[in-house]
Amino acid sequence: MSGDGLDTRHRGEALRKAVLIAVPYLWLVALFLVPFFIVLKISLSDIALARPPYMPQLDLSAGLAGLRDFFAGLDFENFVFLTEDSLYWKAYLSSLQIAAVSTIITLLVGYPIAYGMARAAPEWRPTLLMLVILPFWTSFLIRVYSWMGILSNEGTLNSVLLWLGVIDVPLQIMNTNIAVYIGVVYTYLPFMILPIYATLDKMDSSLLEAAEDLGCSRTEAFWLVTLPLSKGGIIAGCFLVFIPTIGEFVIPTLLGGSDTLMIGKVLWEEFFSNRDWPVASAVAVVLLMILIIPIVLFQRNEQKQREAEG
Amino acid sequence: MAQTVFAPWEDPEEKPLIEFRNVTKRFGEFVAIDDLSLAIYSKEFFALLGPSGCGKTTMMRMLAGFEDPSEGAILLDGRDISGVPPNRRAVNMMFQSYALFPHLSVWDNIAFGLKREGQPKDKIAARVDEMLRLTRLNKFATRKPHQISGGQRQRVALARSLAKAPKLLLLDEPLGALDRKLREETQFELMDIQEKTGTTFVIVTHDQEEAMTVASRVAVMDEGRIVQVATPSVIYEAPISVYVADFIGDVNLVRGTARARPETPSVAAEAVAGPTAPEPAAAAAVAPNLAAPEQTASERSAAEAALPVDPRAPQPNALGEWLHDKVLFPILGRRKPQQKLLPAPSPQERATSDRPQTAPPRDAAQAKPAPAHADDPDALAGGGIVIDWAEGQPPVIATNGDAALDGKPVVLALRPEKVSIGKAALDMPNTLRGKVIDIAYLGNISTYHVQLADGSMIKAQTANTRRLSRRDITWEDEVWVGFSATAGVVLEE
Amino acid sequence: MKTIVQVTATLALAAGAASAQEVRVYNWSDYIDEELLTKFEEETGIDLIYDVFDSNEVLETKMLAGGSGYDVVVPTGTFLQRQIQAGAFQKLDKSKLPNLDNMWDVIEERTAVYDPGNEYSINYMWGTTGIGADVNKVTDILGEDAPLDSLDLIFDPENMEQLAECGVMFLDAPTEMIPAALTYAGLDPDRKDEEALAKAEEILMAVRPHVQKFHSSEYINALANGDICVAFGWSGDILQARDRAAEAENGVEVVYNAPSEGALMWFDQMAIPVDAPNPEAAHTFLNFMMDAQNMAQATNYVYFANGNLASQEFLNEDVIGDTAIYPSPAALQNLYTVTPFPPREQRDLTRMWTRVKSGT
Repeated sequence: MSGDGLDTRHRGEALRKAVLIAVPYLWLVALFLVPFFIVLKISLSDIALARPPYMPQLDLSAGLAGLRDFFAGLDFENFVFLTEDSLYWKAYLSSLQIAAVSTIITLLVGYPIAYGMARAAPEWRPTLLMLVILPFWTSFLIRVYSWMGILSNEGTLNSVLLWLGVIDVPLQIMNTNIAVYIGVVYTYLPFMILPIYATLDKMDSSLLEAAEDLGCSRTEAFWLVTLPLSKGGIIAGCFLVFIPTIGEFVIPTLLGGSDTLMIGKVLWEEFFSNRDWPVASAVAVVLLMILIIPIVLFQRNEQKQREAEG
Repeated sequence: MAQTVFAPWEDPEEKPLIEFRNVTKRFGEFVAIDDLSLAIYSKEFFALLGPSGCGKTTMMRMLAGFEDPSEGAILLDGRDISGVPPNRRAVNMMFQSYALFPHLSVWDNIAFGLKREGQPKDKIAARVDEMLRLTRLNKFATRKPHQISGGQRQRVALARSLAKAPKLLLLDEPLGALDRKLREETQFELMDIQEKTGTTFVIVTHDQEEAMTVASRVAVMDEGRIVQVATPSVIYEAPISVYVADFIGDVNLVRGTARARPETPSVAAEAVAGPTAPEPAAAAAVAPNLAAPEQTASERSAAEAALPVDPRAPQPNALGEWLHDKVLFPILGRRKPQQKLLPAPSPQERATSDRPQTAPPRDAAQAKPAPAHADDPDALAGGGIVIDWAEGQPPVIATNGDAALDGKPVVLALRPEKVSIGKAALDMPNTLRGKVIDIAYLGNISTYHVQLADGSMIKAQTANTRRLSRRDITWEDEVWVGFSATAGVVLEE
Repeated sequence: MKTIVQVTATLALAAGAASAQEVRVYNWSDYIDEELLTKFEEETGIDLIYDVFDSNEVLETKMLAGGSGYDVVVPTGTFLQRQIQAGAFQKLDKSKLPNLDNMWDVIEERTAVYDPGNEYSINYMWGTTGIGADVNKVTDILGEDAPLDSLDLIFDPENMEQLAECGVMFLDAPTEMIPAALTYAGLDPDRKDEEALAKAEEILMAVRPHVQKFHSSEYINALANGDICVAFGWSGDILQARDRAAEAENGVEVVYNAPSEGALMWFDQMAIPVDAPNPEAAHTFLNFMMDAQNMAQATNYVYFANGNLASQEFLNEDVIGDTAIYPSPAALQNLYTVTPFPPREQRDLTRMWTRVKSGT
């Protein structure tokens, strides 16, 4: 009898565990897999002048035959199309390039800030951390718009430079890739600073003293100890900037010029200007495939990080 | 004559390796080090001991170069090193947290300092291998710090800080992170390595046992000042203040008012007249009173002369050593090295360990070895003081107390192991009655917490030389505690 | 006003619970005198929820996806035509629109190209696509005889190279830019064949390095602030820029000219989505807007001509008298309309447009 009770309890335990595990999986299925398969399905469809503007639609009332027709209507034509037009791979490459350059600039700007924060007096750190996070309290769009006010020909930056006599004619920054870099670096800076700060903050300050004690100058100690030890934070920060920047749409649209070619903009164009939902979906699916590589690398880095600490 | 005793601080000719000259260190308003002067000699194993916040870590950080003194000078090999950055000092430090570089292997950690010197690769490799051998880490050379145990990490940290063969090695609570057993093993290993390498070690610790075990000299610190600098045995047996007595080991503090005790000329004369008589010598050895230098030279020579007679006799104390080295060695020659030996048991200790605590006094008298009669009332020396310390309690006799303290508040610092305990009245100059409240059984020894009639507590310690079944003092027992007239150290409050 | 202009999100949430007391209107930004909205609520007792967009593409995506929750939307003619074909709109119940009598037959004739018989829509505003220029800056650069009213100004690379210094923006709308380029080349602006598109691309490619940005709304502010000196855009928008610059007294003097070579005429049409939650109230709104005085108030506010003949007597003199808004009958002859691109050509068109914009 007692054995029975034990069994029931075990079963109850197992059930509870299953339910707990199911929560994240349901989340993943509902908010990632289902939308992904919808997009994938659209990418295999054909454009049509209808609502919604693609074919075929699944006609459940037609039963099995409807299902067969539905699958027969799907093909990889749109993906083939992507390979035929140089626009797409140019846009992907250009996005990767812009994302890579932005990431490097963000790192160069973010690292000293994170370093300064980690070396600041402890009573100052919460304030500094707050200042880094503070911009999130304002709408992202408003912040990008305010950059338009700063960077435009008649904007704050040019006015100040002209007034100071540094330049004679306004600098054309707005609507160029430089403006895009400024926008991306500004927007994603906290994502770079926070993980680097976290690793630097965790770092035992006696390590630096040990390095100095063993004959390093301050500079050498930075390169030999601080930098290698903040590698985890640097990698995490770079991925957190690089991955979303590849698909960035708002910043290149608002700050970039006609030369700025990014896959996010191409996607928008396919979807809105061309009403070509199938090709837009194909672009999105390929973008996801491209992003999976850095995401997997990122995960692996995180795992290694955890193992090293454990 | 070759000097065999390691006591460079006794030699006025010897130049200190490190000298603090009136060093003061302030952090804002806070004075961490207050006008401190100190000399540390080459090849010493020097311990800075004190509670947290006493300034010992600041001292070490000033030596390493992480802090500069606000006032005064720190000299290394006679040169002022203030302002010399840590990476330019022939000083290395072993950090409390070990501060091993987690991204480097054990080998690379040890090689780190050598590589900074720009030595050729084969030299670096040879030195690292030597260090690995010294610390028995050869097997772990390729491991990362997180892949080895705490004890191994401690040895890596030691190897790394020794690799550059510094003139001075600083150890900041080096064993704090180890468990007790490993700590004890490592203490001996540290001493061993210190001896092998001949490096001067300065260790910072708050653990008095650790300081006593490893150090040649201990500086007890309090609030930015050094209270006492001496060998471990002197620190323990002859603390110069209540603070030191209380900080080092377990102690009973009997607070009261001193009253000069009449001289008993016959006894005193006997002591002076009989230079070979062991009692006064033993008494002086057990509890020398540095504040009472009125002992005659003959007494001192008697003390010194007594030494070679019986190898089991008490060892010389600091005063005795000083006397010997300054006055007597031209006649008697150098003493043999005995530095690392703990003092031999005092007659009191011998008495207590040689007989069962609970045995009736007459058994004790029988068992007592002949020379250890210091606590015999018949042999009680005259002079000294008595301390009135509580209503209804007999005053405590301390023959080693300075009669000049008459009328002043004093504290008698009394180590528990010098207090005997028995069920019957003890044959001792000082005996008190009480009740056992608590017994701390530590295996090798037991400490009895005895409450006296006036409510004050006194601790008595006995070595558990008998099996458990034979010891019969237990909780709530009415007992006598007793101690000799020289068992405690009289300190001015 | 805050109670009326609400965000889309609220709207989408409330869409399911539409009652007879609510009508949801989706119109272009900066495109109505908001006093009219209060007036509508006071007169009819219907709550008006007014939401705005700034590109036909966004509107079209919502229409094609369905379930937008709007009762009245305002697409431009070419887009309207395609959306009608996709089945996005319902036919108007003309019995509920007595004010239809006020409409202007000249305009109805033209809008019938997109909406045969005007069965699905009524005209809200119409205008031309032309050149806005900061007179002072352009004449400084190109001299007093700068061709402010000619496509030469924006399609001649020599002019553009010099103008790039003070900034030029084009509409980010191939359906506006390509007919203009074809007109400049002396071709029929409504041609959609490969050869014509290639010619248009060549013209556009030659000047695109000097175009600071292709965008369909930013040029209003940019022109008014003096950030740019030339924009090819919609008449009303450029006139708005003109007024803003005048108000700001910043020394910027904007003029609008429909190109003398011929200008594209466009029509913003009010229509009712097929799945409108409250078509009844939608009709009420359309009829309200077709009232002569109301329509005149709207035009007086936004500086666009309307398709309501009866409203003309209530228009301000600076509106009805401005040939930039109401061209002379002769000039009206110089305006053309274009038809939408079929799907396949549309793809070629936008691909070409992306090439033009990105320079690849």
